[in-house]
Amino acid sequence: MVLDIISAVLIFLGALLSLAAAVGLVRFGDLLSRMHASAKPQVLGLILVAVAIAIQFPTWATVSTLAIIISFQLVTIPVATHMVGRAGYRTKHLRRSMLYRDELAEAVDRAEARELAWERQRGIGTDHHDG
Amino acid sequence: MNQIVIDVLIVAGSVLLAASVIIALYRIVRGPSILDRMIGTDVVLASIMCGLGGYMALSDRTDLLPVLIVLAMLGFVGSVSVSRYVSKSDSMTPGAEAGALSDFSNSDWHMPRDGQGKATAEAASGSPAYSEVDEVTEIEDPTFDPHADAEGEGLGTGPDPGPDDAEDQGSGTSAKRGESNGP
Repeated sequence: MVLDIISAVLIFLGALLSLAAAVGLVRFGDLLSRMHASAKPQVLGLILVAVAIAIQFPTWATVSTLAIIISFQLVTIPVATHMVGRAGYRTKHLRRSMLYRDELAEAVDRAEARELAWERQRGIGTDHHDG
Repeated sequence: MNQIVIDVLIVAGSVLLAASVIIALYRIVRGPSILDRMIGTDVVLASIMCGLGGYMALSDRTDLLPVLIVLAMLGFVGSVSVSRYVSKSDSMTPGAEAGALSDFSNSDWHMPRDGQGKATAEAASGSPAYSEVDEVTEIEDPTFDPHADAEGEGLGTGPDPGPDDAEDQGSGTSAKRGESNGP
């Protein structure tokens, strides 16, 4: 019975994290901030619920499957979040006034300078198209 | 007494999950860009996974564990594919977020210029400029890589099909036009 209560508390905490992510999704004003909010139930909420399931069914088959699920989430969620953030940076869906530091801008500057040098080396003028 | 505590916790958790799904649906409807909608969809999917896990834990349904795996994989594939094909012309819903995204200025951004090689080829063949190429591709010049490092590492996330497809389309139509103009 104590284990049932612990399991119910864990499920309740997972639901609370999910609600926190949804509230952050509405309250935050930026794509990157919303990404920051939305990653919580995907990892920690699912871990809490998986621990609740493992408490209820402490068999090897269940626990190993839950470990597979959690490790899969831990691997794939950063990748998906990185892809979303990269697309958001490319399509300007972020507020630059909310950034303390933009480390990617330096890389973009370097790439642009390299592209300019490459064009100059290739001998194609840019005036007739840019003007 | 213990059963009452468990019931209260379960009902409260269900209400929280339902509220989070509804709030995330609000963000999906209202979201200014498709990436915000994708994040809202991820939150909906996470809520579904939490609810399914709770249902499994409390009603002896361990046969639903593969469904949890499938849902995890679905969220990953959906996020990656949608963000992979978001283009520059993904217009945000105007006025959906008052004052939040209006203070952009183009000079803040380091966006690539138009591809000079393609432009000269089009000017030489006399074909009109393809305006729909800009809607498909996010970078016109295929050699431009804004995410490359100084060491010359290119795109680290796989092939970028947009510019190649656009270029293939452009060359194909210009070749056809040349053939028709020949005789």
